[in-house]
Amino acid sequence: MAVEMRLPAVHKHISLAASQSNREDKHLVVPGDVITSDTGFMRGHGTYMDEDRLTASVAGEVERVNKLICVRPLKTRYNGEVGDVVVGRITEVQQKRWKVETNSRLDSVLLLSSVNLPGGELRRRSAQDELAMRDYLQEGDLISAEVQSIFSDGAVSLHTRSLKYGKLGQGVLVLVSPSLVKRQKTHFHNLPCGASMILGNNGYLWLYPTPGQQDEEAGGYYTSMEPVSLSDREVISRLRNCLLALSAHKVLLYDTSVLYCYEASLAHQIKDILKPEIMEEIILETRQRLVELEG
Amino acid sequence: MRDTPLSNCERRFLLKAIEEKKRLDGRQTYDYRNIKISFGTDYGCCIVELGKTRVLCQVSCELVPPKDSRPTEGIMFFNLELSPMASPAFEPNRQSELLVTLNRQLERCLRNSKCIDTESLCVVSGEKVWQIRVDVHVLNHDGNLMDAASIAAISALSHFRRPDVAIQGRDVTVFSPEERDPIPLSIYHMPICVSFAFFLQGSYLLVDPCEREERVKDGLLVIAMNKHREICSIQSSGGIMLLKDQVLRCSKIASVKVSEITELINKALENDRKIRKEGGKFGFAESMPKERITTLKRDEAPVEMTDVEETAKDIVNRTETTTEVVSVPSPVLVGMGTAQVGEGIVNSWGLDEEEEDEPQTEDTKTDEVMVISDSEEEEVVILNEEVQ
Repeated sequence: MAVEMRLPAVHKHISLAASQSNREDKHLVVPGDVITSDTGFMRGHGTYMDEDRLTASVAGEVERVNKLICVRPLKTRYNGEVGDVVVGRITEVQQKRWKVETNSRLDSVLLLSSVNLPGGELRRRSAQDELAMRDYLQEGDLISAEVQSIFSDGAVSLHTRSLKYGKLGQGVLVLVSPSLVKRQKTHFHNLPCGASMILGNNGYLWLYPTPGQQDEEAGGYYTSMEPVSLSDREVISRLRNCLLALSAHKVLLYDTSVLYCYEASLAHQIKDILKPEIMEEIILETRQRLVELEG
Repeated sequence: MRDTPLSNCERRFLLKAIEEKKRLDGRQTYDYRNIKISFGTDYGCCIVELGKTRVLCQVSCELVPPKDSRPTEGIMFFNLELSPMASPAFEPNRQSELLVTLNRQLERCLRNSKCIDTESLCVVSGEKVWQIRVDVHVLNHDGNLMDAASIAAISALSHFRRPDVAIQGRDVTVFSPEERDPIPLSIYHMPICVSFAFFLQGSYLLVDPCEREERVKDGLLVIAMNKHREICSIQSSGGIMLLKDQVLRCSKIASVKVSEITELINKALENDRKIRKEGGKFGFAESMPKERITTLKRDEAPVEMTDVEETAKDIVNRTETTTEVVSVPSPVLVGMGTAQVGEGIVNSWGLDEEEEDEPQTEDTKTDEVMVISDSEEEEVVILNEEVQ
């Protein structure tokens, strides 16, 4: 077994000049920072009144909407919004519903009436369906779903009423902070490098080999157990390391940034991407290309 | 807060590894993690680290009236608390099943085994007895809380000293530690719990499961034993069916482990006693590694080197031999831990010899000494003008 040894060394943090420009207009605070001493404002989430002064209780960016001031934290649990795509894991099977863990403060709920029955039939759910719930989704299964509504206590209600949602088969799950996933029109991407990914808004990213035939009559419950080829596995491993590198440097995650990072990493071996120096190199290149794209 | 659920592939990986007799941290089936016992400045305070699991135990005493049914015996009170800092799954003031199980097992192990002589705790029969209170706090949960808690409890009890009392008729005088030296408790034997986790319907067992292994276990067998090979308590949970020879085998393993751990506890107690007698520094601050930038303290990581030689030979054979064969002299041992291979090349820093050459080639003013200084002195006197 070859052992690799590296000595601790001091390396400078590289920061692009471009990213400095928009730092001035962002009002960043840490817990305890006074936002304003003006008492005319209403306080929103992430703030508290400390002797007539509005103080931040979380680390993040200050948002002001007319008279309402709130602080949006950078590192937080997932707060659901209607229409988000999430990837979650079934934790409990209850009467007529499943409890799904989605990295939020409360477990999300997937009602039996919100799933597509296999075969795609549309009918009322019977008692037999209730008893057979465990055959569809068990504890430990990963699913992709969309947020249908939010309960008053903040718990999120999910639905899988489309053929693109459902149980996830073979692939790799990467966990990042929910604030790093950019809100886009679509969260399902088929990357040209040969893999597909689902960027869940809750920070759960799913990488899987692009399915061969695009038509799936099974309705999202058929998970293929065919062995995945080595080339596909390598692509997915490289993508996973790229995602970890991007999240370590707090780069916003969307299909373009992931693709640029993948292309920048092709020069290195897959296992080298996780080394701090090489990670910085790759991220620098990615950031430069993204800045060129914007400007 | 609920613990993040274990993914299916993690579960399968752990079970597959156990089938192949491999553990996540590279231990063998019957190996314990590193046990570290440290005592505080007060008598009766002890922290036990079993790998990453940390448990703190504090023993204290108080004079109370005895129980009506036992007027001549002291009272032992055990309390185990799962602190929220141990795991996000532990919430304060929540009575969970794990908490009840641990408390019950600790009580059974220490109280029912009669390891402490409660009669010696009696001061005035029927009126005043010592109540010994053992508080165990779990500081970090990385598996096998029961063993760590029992080691911490018995170490703290052995370390504890109660105040000396003098009885004159019905008057009781309690002496402070300054007036009279406190007295240790009379402990007959040291019962220690050893946990065995069973997997795959009892076909595989592991000693000292870590937190991940505990999550995929089918059942748990806890045997409390002392070094004289007396079983103090056995508890089997999880509903798995164990065969007689499995239980006998576990008890044999437990006796070996218990004697090792008892030796460790005695050594730690002896060290502490010696340091206190010599007047050296003792307590938790001394047992923690110093946090200095220049010191790097990490646990030794075992590296598998069984096939190092073959791999090295492979690599050497595969590399192409260069046309110019440069003979490398074999290493010369210069001193302890220092070896030298080959010799360095000629010094290329350009020192004395070359500098002496230069002034001779230049025939311009080299006798004048160029003075470049900001000194405001009128005249700068340079000593040792020969040195150029």
